[in-house]
Amino acid sequence: MAFLEVRDLVVAYGAIQAVRGVSFDVEQGQIVSLIGSNGAGKTTTLRTLSGLLRPVSGTISFDGEQIQKQPAHSILSRGMAHSPEGRRLFARMTVEENLRLGAYTRKDEEGIAKDMQRVYDLFPVLGERRGNKAGLFSGGEQQMLAIGRALMSRPKLLMLDEPSMGLSPIMTQLIFDTVKELRSEGTTVLLVEQNALAALGLSDRAYVIDLGRTTLSGTGHELLADPRVQEAYLGEGVGAE
Amino acid sequence: MSTTIDPPVATTAPPVQHTGRFGAVLNAVAPFAKIGMIVGGVLSVLGAFLPWVTFVLNEGAYPERASLNMFVEPFGVSGFRLHITLLGIAAIVIALLTVPAKHRIVRGLGIGVAAVALLNGIWITVEGGGLGAITAADGTIAFGAIVALIGGLVTVLAATSGGLEARPEWEWELPWWVEWILLLVIFALVLLLVAEVLTSGGQGGVVNPYAGVVFLSLLAALSGALSALSASGLLTWVGVVSERHRVFSVVVLLLCALALPFTGAGTEYWMTVASNIGVYAATAIGLNIVVGLAGLLDLGYVAFLGIGAFTAANLSGAAASAVGIHLPFLLVMVISAVVAGIFGAIVGSPTLRVRGDYLAIVTLAFGEIFVRSAQNNIAGLTGGANAIPNIPPVGVGGFQFNDSITIGALRLPSGVMYYVAIVLLVAFVMLVFGNLKNSRLGRAWIAIREDEDAASAMGIRTGPIKILAFLIGAMLAGLAGAFFAHKTAVVAYDSFRFLESVTLLAAVILGGMGTIPGAVLGASILFVLPEKLREFADYRLLLFGLALILIMRFRPQGIIADKHRKAELADDDPEDVAREGPGALPTEVK
Amino acid sequence: MSTFLSQIANGLMFGSLIALIAIGYTMVYGIITLINFAHGEIFMVGAYGGLATLTYWVPTAVVAQWYFALPIALVAGALVAMLVAIAMERFAYRPLRNAPRLAPLITALGVSVALQEAVRVFYPGATAAIPFPPLFLDGAFVIPIGDGVVIRYTGVLLIVVSLALAFALERFVERTRLGRAMRATSQDRDVARLMGIDPDRVIVLTFAIGGALAGVAGVLYGSYLNNINIDMGFQNGIFAFTAAVLGGIGNIRGAVVGGLVIGLVRALGGQYLPGGTAYDYVWIFVVLIIVLVFRPQGFFGESERVRA
Repeated sequence: MAFLEVRDLVVAYGAIQAVRGVSFDVEQGQIVSLIGSNGAGKTTTLRTLSGLLRPVSGTISFDGEQIQKQPAHSILSRGMAHSPEGRRLFARMTVEENLRLGAYTRKDEEGIAKDMQRVYDLFPVLGERRGNKAGLFSGGEQQMLAIGRALMSRPKLLMLDEPSMGLSPIMTQLIFDTVKELRSEGTTVLLVEQNALAALGLSDRAYVIDLGRTTLSGTGHELLADPRVQEAYLGEGVGAE
Repeated sequence: MSTTIDPPVATTAPPVQHTGRFGAVLNAVAPFAKIGMIVGGVLSVLGAFLPWVTFVLNEGAYPERASLNMFVEPFGVSGFRLHITLLGIAAIVIALLTVPAKHRIVRGLGIGVAAVALLNGIWITVEGGGLGAITAADGTIAFGAIVALIGGLVTVLAATSGGLEARPEWEWELPWWVEWILLLVIFALVLLLVAEVLTSGGQGGVVNPYAGVVFLSLLAALSGALSALSASGLLTWVGVVSERHRVFSVVVLLLCALALPFTGAGTEYWMTVASNIGVYAATAIGLNIVVGLAGLLDLGYVAFLGIGAFTAANLSGAAASAVGIHLPFLLVMVISAVVAGIFGAIVGSPTLRVRGDYLAIVTLAFGEIFVRSAQNNIAGLTGGANAIPNIPPVGVGGFQFNDSITIGALRLPSGVMYYVAIVLLVAFVMLVFGNLKNSRLGRAWIAIREDEDAASAMGIRTGPIKILAFLIGAMLAGLAGAFFAHKTAVVAYDSFRFLESVTLLAAVILGGMGTIPGAVLGASILFVLPEKLREFADYRLLLFGLALILIMRFRPQGIIADKHRKAELADDDPEDVAREGPGALPTEVK
Repeated sequence: MSTFLSQIANGLMFGSLIALIAIGYTMVYGIITLINFAHGEIFMVGAYGGLATLTYWVPTAVVAQWYFALPIALVAGALVAMLVAIAMERFAYRPLRNAPRLAPLITALGVSVALQEAVRVFYPGATAAIPFPPLFLDGAFVIPIGDGVVIRYTGVLLIVVSLALAFALERFVERTRLGRAMRATSQDRDVARLMGIDPDRVIVLTFAIGGALAGVAGVLYGSYLNNINIDMGFQNGIFAFTAAVLGGIGNIRGAVVGGLVIGLVRALGGQYLPGGTAYDYVWIFVVLIIVLVFRPQGFFGESERVRA
């Protein structure tokens, strides 16, 4: 059984089905991407994984346990951290407070201090401005803080929703380099991206979600080479870069 | 090589498969649904024929219905025992026939039986002093209540296990004159039913220890019958037919309302109650414009009724009034409406800057300022704590509205003219509301209610239109206020406190926000219930508060739901669901 | 001059009471954006809870000593109010957590009516005002300015207790883990859940704290005015809400400042504005309307907080 196993997930907002059958696997230590166009159901899938939405049907098993009926606040302590779309920092709190909230479920003060230092090492700019309000930061800095916040719970699986959104190419590169670094340290990463080119390039495995369904799967390089993917998701992406 | 993933094939569930808390029980009963319904019906009828008490309970002189004598007699079927018998027989008959939505209908009947049995059982137990009343004692057995209750519950269980069908939709279309006659008969029956409900358990005002429970029992039986009718789809069909003959229906309904004085409810007492209901109904319709159509919550609305009433009182020639002139009633009504309308525009003007909850607080503050000012007899216009008493009744020539009328052998009670006048006033206000709702202005209000920013982007000038909602609503309340002043003859500040505003709001919500008959229905219920339940008078407001909580919990859209209304109370906006997480999803299992 | 100073003192006493109630409004609104109308009734219930404890469960000999009576009454009042507030959240508001805006507001009105009536019907003698025992040193001291400004000891108690509690609460919210969870929930409930915070627990905590403070305020009110009645909740509740808005809703310090301002408006307005004390409540409502129309974010509020 895979580390994270999603089967036939169906999620609806009232009468409207946003996700109509998503299935995928994430193996431990991998970077797995979900790609697809805007509105395909990627974000809804992530929100369901982290318990913010309740699926109509389908199963999610993580680390051998079914979690689709667990409330959102209990998901984190199972080892899944979710950095949401649009970063959603606590804008009126300081960097340090944001990071402390990321470690809300932990009680080991020493470990928290150590992890906070690790985030500051990863993103030195955060360390320099730890007393500043998060709302005052630039998009890239906010993304760093969002990832740092998610790391503070020491997740086994890190879920990132559109980390490159609104960022400059340099900043995007920095974020993706960090993601690779996290993998090398043993963190499993589930990435949702519209920037398919960048995402596929670093993914061990990827899935295409179209109209609420997983339609294609393969390694990152297989999908990069697939003509259907190239036509639908890379053509525009390459042109825009 | 990347692989294509096939979409999963949907599997279909077996037709009747109960889930949820009682799923297992229902699935076990399901094969015996039909037998169960019949057994339940038989038990109900049997229960009705059994004795219900082991003693005679008869408190004072009151017609046989209120005496508890008949509870002892076996086979003595009248009052609530008759209702149970009829509901039980109906359940048996329908269980045997092939009728669409049969299980749903029978469930309604079963609920009626259970409710009537439970209510009377509890009441007899309490009155009779303990459970002795419904067990064997003194050589008499009295298991009526228990047997009927079990009968009702068995019926409900069996019907539910059989699988509740969707309400059928009938599309019969009869010749127009047949439909006219049908509507006429139905509305006449409704009128008689209303009169029966009002007079059940005796006329109010008389101290009668049984009135409350007899009334409640009748209501329980009626709601059982009505839910069965509604399940059969017939109620919806009647609605469709009356919609088809809209003008005719409106005229007949108006005539029925005017005919109430000729029924058993045609007493001075009920005419007065009905006139009060009318005043609040008209005001509630005005509030319905502000809250129901434009979506602006007003918590100080009763102030406009008060402003209309004080204006009329000052122009009535009453000795205590500051102005001391006496103008004709119709003119006074117009002036009251205009004055209230001006204040409405003033109160509404903060809507230009304040929205939502904050607006509710602003209106509440205005309402409190009004009460305080009136209490302090501001500018000598309100009489303060002394109120403005002795306002003369409305008169035409030598005839005064509170005289009784004699037509041939028929003597109509005093107050009947006020009743007629308020019926016409309410009809007029409903007409205004209905026309506004379907006008350009009404659509603009609804657009603002649904999404103010979008409305503004579509070119609707939201500011003036919102103020207009307050202005028109306040004018209608002002009209009602003028009537109120003359009918009650005294206007005092404490008739217009916060609780009255809440009651009005509750009437609008209970009836159904934004609907034409909603406010009238809501006001009627909120004012008839306390009249009929005087024995529980001490708990009236407590029950009112609890009722508000329960309505919001279980039926926030009110008794009559507005078809077009979605955003405010009946929620299926995906945005909201997404924002709020799993709780709002239909599959929530927590 | 001494009249003016006396009124200032009165205003600050009344104002600190209002501030204590306002904190509950502001915290609840900050977290679930609900105007909890029934909060005023929690204050009232707290007063009756404190009174009931002193009247029925504590020996008179104990009540006679203020240093026993005061802490007992304060704790009892806070406890009763807190329990009622928690029950209210659990049974009335939580089922409506995802309902549209109007529904919980109307529920709050229903809770308000029901609580007031429940006390009236079930508390012995509550149909009229009930005398409340003094809980603190009787008497007053005089500040020798002009004709002398008389300050009652109970009034000083009122100010000291209120400000101390407000200060402690602000430290709690700013400095502790739970306080951080409260602020996180009020800023973005979904993301708070992603941090492992159970919003239901935070909301219960908020209602409990607000309820306890209101209960303390209720007992202090009783001992300050020497009698209580079932209407005390509604009126003071509205004042407290006004104070919360005035200070910028969601902001504890703002609620305190708003409360003090309300107290001063009432005392000075009743003294110096036309109509006298008969109209002092009216001035508060006028202030409320002006603030909501021209500065709905209040003194300390950030404009993004203001709800459409």
